[in-house]
Amino acid sequence: MPLALSPTAIPVIVDEAKCIADKGCTVCVDVCPLDVLRISDLTGKAYMKFDECWYCMPCETDCPTGAVTVNIPYLLR
Amino acid sequence: MDDFIDGLSEVACDVLVIGGGTAGPMAALKAKQKNPALNVVLLEKANVKRSGAISMGMDGLNNAVVPGYATPEQYTKEITIANDGIVDQAPVFKYASRCYDIIQELDRFGIRFQRNANGDYDLKKVHHLGTYVLPMPNGETVKKALYRQLKRERILISNRFMATRLLTAKDGRIAGAVAVNTRTSEFLVLRAKAVILCMGAAGRLGLPHSGYLFGTYENPTNSGDGYAMAYHAGAALANLECYQINPLIKDYNGPACAYVAGPFGAYTANSEGKRFIESDYWSGQMMQEFYNELQSGKGPVFLKLNHLHPDTVGEIADILHRVERPSRGRFHTARGTDYRETMIEMHISEIGFCSGHSASGVFVDEYARTTVPGLYAAGDMASVPHNYMLGAFTNGAVAGEHAAEAAQETDLPDYDPDVVRFERTRVLAPTRREDGIPPNQLEYKVRRLVNDYLQPPKVTSRMRIGQQRLAEARQDLETALVARNPHELMRSLEVSSILDCADMAAHASLYRTESRWGLYHNRIDHPEKDDENWCCHALLRKVDGRMISEKRAIQPYIVPIETEERTAYERLRVSNQA
Amino acid sequence: MATFDPFEDFGDAEEIVGRLSDADPAVRRLAVIDLSETATPDVLLHLLAMVEDSDAAVRLQVAIALGDFDTIDTAGGLVKLVMDPDGSVASAAADSLAELKDPAAAPPLLSLGTHPDAFVRASGFRGLKGLRSRIALGPALNAMSDESAQVRGEALGVIAYLKLEETLPSLIAATRDAEASVRAEAVNALSFTKQLAAATAVAAALRDDVWQVRAAAAQSLGRIGQAFAVGSLVAGLADEYWQVRQKCLSALGSLKAQSAVADISAQLASDLPSLRKEAAAALGEIADPSARQALMAHASDTDPDVRKTVRWALTRIG
Repeated sequence: MPLALSPTAIPVIVDEAKCIADKGCTVCVDVCPLDVLRISDLTGKAYMKFDECWYCMPCETDCPTGAVTVNIPYLLR
Repeated sequence: MDDFIDGLSEVACDVLVIGGGTAGPMAALKAKQKNPALNVVLLEKANVKRSGAISMGMDGLNNAVVPGYATPEQYTKEITIANDGIVDQAPVFKYASRCYDIIQELDRFGIRFQRNANGDYDLKKVHHLGTYVLPMPNGETVKKALYRQLKRERILISNRFMATRLLTAKDGRIAGAVAVNTRTSEFLVLRAKAVILCMGAAGRLGLPHSGYLFGTYENPTNSGDGYAMAYHAGAALANLECYQINPLIKDYNGPACAYVAGPFGAYTANSEGKRFIESDYWSGQMMQEFYNELQSGKGPVFLKLNHLHPDTVGEIADILHRVERPSRGRFHTARGTDYRETMIEMHISEIGFCSGHSASGVFVDEYARTTVPGLYAAGDMASVPHNYMLGAFTNGAVAGEHAAEAAQETDLPDYDPDVVRFERTRVLAPTRREDGIPPNQLEYKVRRLVNDYLQPPKVTSRMRIGQQRLAEARQDLETALVARNPHELMRSLEVSSILDCADMAAHASLYRTESRWGLYHNRIDHPEKDDENWCCHALLRKVDGRMISEKRAIQPYIVPIETEERTAYERLRVSNQA
Repeated sequence: MATFDPFEDFGDAEEIVGRLSDADPAVRRLAVIDLSETATPDVLLHLLAMVEDSDAAVRLQVAIALGDFDTIDTAGGLVKLVMDPDGSVASAAADSLAELKDPAAAPPLLSLGTHPDAFVRASGFRGLKGLRSRIALGPALNAMSDESAQVRGEALGVIAYLKLEETLPSLIAATRDAEASVRAEAVNALSFTKQLAAATAVAAALRDDVWQVRAAAAQSLGRIGQAFAVGSLVAGLADEYWQVRQKCLSALGSLKAQSAVADISAQLASDLPSLRKEAAAALGEIADPSARQALMAHASDTDPDVRKTVRWALTRIG
C-alpha cells in the first residue's frame, strides 16, 4: 500500500525573528516530551515537524527569547 | 537527526531506572544516595528536563499525609474503602508513613508548597473525610528542581532512548534492558543488577472524543510501554480491569481540577447548576455518578465557578492557567468562555491504566518489588492505588533505596545475546518495509477499537468481538507496519505497547465476572458486586507465551475496617445503571 | 556498526566559559544557560561576573540562573541585579532572591531595606521572609511605617513567619493598615497566638470595609479559639457577603459555640447549598442535641453535600 501525504494545520508556531537556534540554541527541541520540534537545515530556526502535540507548553515557557507560541490543536478548539 | 544509524552499544550499571518523569528521578537519586559508589543510570524516552506526567509541573499534592491533618492509619483506611477493599495495605501504609519526609525533601529541592501567613504548610480540605491537599504555587518548576538534583548527584542520564524489552538471566532474575534511540534507531543494551520501571500510565489507550491522537488526559508519551515490558518479562499485573477514567474539561482533556478549585468553593454541577456527586473520595463510584449524570436529562456536566466572587475566580484561573496544563486558558479564550459568566462543560476521559488515579498497575509489594526478582516498579504504573504525584515520588524513593541494597548483594547477571539479536529484528522490522501501514493509522484504528469494544459499560460479547478485531490489528502490526525514520519507529513501538495494553484490558475485564469500582469495571451482564468470589486481586501474567489471569488473596489488613464504616460508605452509593 | 556514548555530558565548563565573552549577546545568553545547567557551584564565579553584562537579556538570564543555586554566594550578585534599570531583570532577580534558604544570606538582603526604590525594598523583605532570620526583625518592624504598601506587606511577612509574641503590637497595628491586602495578611498572621489582644483586634476586623478582610478575620478567629469572639461571629452571620457568612459559620464550629446553635441553625434555610453545608458542619462540630431537629429537617436536602454533612452531624450528636 503506497503512502500519501495529508496536510494538517500545526499548533506550534516559531517567530523566526526572535529564534536564536542558529546561535546554537536547542532549548525547545530538548524540552518537548513528544520530540516534535526540529531545527531547519534551511533557515537554522526551530519549527514543528510532527503534528503530535500535547499543547503542554515547555517549548514556549522555556524558550529564552519568547519565540515560540503554542496554539490549541484545531481538532480540540 | 532523523536518519537511521546502524549502531549498538552496551553499558553495564548497578541500578537502571527506566523513565525520568516523577518516580524515576527520585528512584535514581535515592539509589545513589544510599550507596554513592553505585553506578546509577536513568534512561528516558524524551528528555528528563521536561518529561512525564508533570512535564509542566503540578498544581498541588492531592494526598499529602501531614502530621496534625491526617494519620497514616486514617489515609490507609480511606484508600481501602475507596478502592472497594481490594488493597494490600502494606504499600499504602508505607507510602502514608513516608510521604511527609518526601514533602520536606522536595521543599529543600526548591519546590514551594503553599504556606499560610505564619509560614506553615497550608493544607486544604477537599472532600468529606481527611485533609490531604497541599497546593504548590510554583509547581511549574518541579522538573527543573529534580533535574538539578540529578546533575548534582552525578546520575548518568540517557535521554531519547526508548526501552523496548527487559532482559532476564537464565534463573529468571532481571539482567537489564534493550533500548533504541528515538532519533537514530541505534541500539543500547543496558546490563544491570536491578531495574526500576517508572514509565508512567498507559494513557494512550482509549481515543479522546476529539479524535486527536495526542489529546489525551495523560501525557501521550505515557503509552503503556512499562506495562508491556513488565508483561513480556513475566511480571504480574494487578487489577487492570480497574481502568483509569477521569472527569475533564470537554475537548480540552485537561483535568477537572476539583482539587484546585474545590477549596475556593467551586464544584461539579449538572446543567441545572446543582451538585449531584454523592461519593467522598475520588473513585470509580464517583466516575459512575458523573457518567450517569452526563447521560441523564440533567446532563451534561459542568465545572461551576460563576457563583464565586470575580476576585476568587481570578485567583483560581491564575493557578489553573500557569501550572500543569497552562494552555487551558488559551483554550477557553478561543471559545470565549469566561469562568465568571458561564459554567464550563465537562466530560469524561478516554480509558487507560494508571494506579495514580485508580488501581491498575504492575503488582508490587511495600518495597516496590514486582514478581520478577530484581525488577521494581514505581509511580503511575505500579499497583499502589490512588497514589498521585506524591506517591510516585515516595514509592520511587522506596524502590531506589531497596534496589541499591539488592544491587550491592548481586553479581551482574548474564543475558542471552540471542534475545538481543531477536529483539533488534523485531524492533527494526517496520523499517525494512518499503510501504505498508504507517504508525499513526494503525494507532488510530487500535484506539478506536478500544473505545468501541472495551470502554465501560462493559459487555461480554462486545469485548470478545473487540479481541478478534485487535488480533487482526496485531496481524497488521507484525506484517505491514512501516516506519520511514527513527521518529516513526518510536511511534511504531508505542503502537505495539498500546496494542499489548488493549489485549490486557480485554483479558482482565473478561476475567473478573462481577461489577466493582463503579464505572471502572461496570459489567452490564454481571451487574452485582460479588464479594464472595471476587474480593481478591486479579493478576494477569504471561506464561509460556500466553496471557493468563488468576486470583490472589488480599493480604490481611493492618488497619482494620469496621463493618459499620464500610456500610456507611455503601449507603452513599448510587446505581451503576445510567 | 557504530558504537556511541549514550550519556548526557556534565558540561565542559571551560568551553562554556569561553563563550561568555562572545561578541554576540545571544551566544553569551546561551552560555549562561549551559553554565547553569552544569549545576556545579564551581561555575558561580563566572556567572557572577556576568551581572555587569551590557546586554539586558544576558543579565536577565543570569538573574534566572542564580536562582537555581541554593547558596549564599549568589546573594551579592542578585542584590545588584534587583537594582537593575531593566524591569524584567530586576523582577527575575527578586524571584531568585526569594529562593534563598540559608539564613546567612540575610545581611546582603537587609542592605536593600533602605534603597530609594520601593520595589527593591520590597524584594529584600520578600527574600528575607523564608529565611526566618531574627536579625531581620528590627528592620521589618521599622518598615511597617514605609510609605509603600508593597514594602509593608513583605515586611509583615517577615514578622509573621517569626511567630513571636513580642511582635503582636505591630501585627495588631497592621490590622488597621491603609491597604486592605496588608490588613488581611495581618489578620491571618495573628492566628498563631491565643492572646486576647490579638483576638480583639481580629474581631474588630470583622467590621472592615473590605469583604476579603472580614472573611480572613472570621477564619482567623476560628483558629485563635477565644470564646469571646462568638458574639462578633454571630453578628457576622448577617454580613452582606456569603463568603464572610460561610467563614463565620466555620469559625463558630471550631469554637464549639453552643450559644450560637440557634443562629447557625437558621442558616440551614439559606438558598446557597455551600452555606447550608457549612452550617450543618458547624452544628456537627458543636454536637449540641438542640440542633437535632433542625438538622433532621434537612436530612433529604436537594444538595448531596448538605445531606452528607447533615448525616455526619447527626451521628456526632448521637
